[in-house]
Amino acid sequence: MDLTAHNSISQRRETINAELASCKLCPRDCRVNRLKGEVGFCGLDSAARCFREMIHNGEEKQLVPSHQVYFAGCNLKCEYCSVAEWNRCPMEVEGIALEQLAKKIAKRRADGAKTLNFLGGEPSVNIYGILGLLELVDPATRVVWNSNMYYRDIVGGVLEGLADIFLADFKCFDANCSRDILGVTDYSEIVRTNVKYACQHSDVILRHLVLPGHFDCCAKPILEWIASEIPAVKVSLRFDYIPPIPAEFSPAEYLDNAQKQAVLDMAKELKLNLIE
Amino acid sequence: MKKKPYQRNAGEFEIRILPDGRVVMVAPDEELMDMAKSLEPMNEQLSTENKEQNVEIRNESES
Repeated sequence: MDLTAHNSISQRRETINAELASCKLCPRDCRVNRLKGEVGFCGLDSAARCFREMIHNGEEKQLVPSHQVYFAGCNLKCEYCSVAEWNRCPMEVEGIALEQLAKKIAKRRADGAKTLNFLGGEPSVNIYGILGLLELVDPATRVVWNSNMYYRDIVGGVLEGLADIFLADFKCFDANCSRDILGVTDYSEIVRTNVKYACQHSDVILRHLVLPGHFDCCAKPILEWIASEIPAVKVSLRFDYIPPIPAEFSPAEYLDNAQKQAVLDMAKELKLNLIE
Repeated sequence: MKKKPYQRNAGEFEIRILPDGRVVMVAPDEELMDMAKSLEPMNEQLSTENKEQNVEIRNESES
């Protein structure tokens, strides 16, 4: 984290606190008073509830060993979400107290964790609690914001200097696909704006989980957009899609080698900055 | 009436065995990751045995 940014966390918390009184942190625009316990789409009040913390070596090489800190609650409803059970009723998650979590973070870092990786759910809807946590964390910690990037610009501004690396998902490009699979139609345009902004002040790894059967509608236009708008960004292609059961809108099958190769070939053809 | 598939509850984990023999863990926690790691030597051994078998088969077909 940038030291100046770390020193200004309390002001940044105030900014978010004011926003929570009529929540517009994300384009869902619920306008509920989360400070008074009202809940909107994400199902959260103002507190952040960590349901899991662990060391993970399966993230991109520059991040590992990465200390993942999972928060309950999300502003998307991805049908294939692998932790959906934690997002259905996030207020029921007991969570780990922030002071205790800060101690675990220090311990994990002392044990060799290279990065502190906030994910969920979605960290952006938990940002008020996460800022409180960051106040307790050594500013020398490398913070990864592992996000669906579906948030309003106020979140991007508050994270400037605090998030060293954005591990930014770009899930779907086509509005019909994002409506059916993620539950929002404006996903792609919001993500494109936020990713471009993040690229101006942070290291960004743009991650695309390749969905079987979504080459022409999603993978191809995403890769073309990267090549045209942010050609130097690090791109991480993920091929480990797990179909939900049942799969109503999401692909019901696992990705095959031919589809994987087609996406890789295209990324190489576009000379994208592929990383592992 | 059609039965709905079981939905995982918070704290439960899911392991799938695919028809081609692959084992998939859905969003494993640290304990499950450790478990998967402990299976790696067995996996490597199986993989080596398979390779040896393949070599034998190839050798047989070549002779």
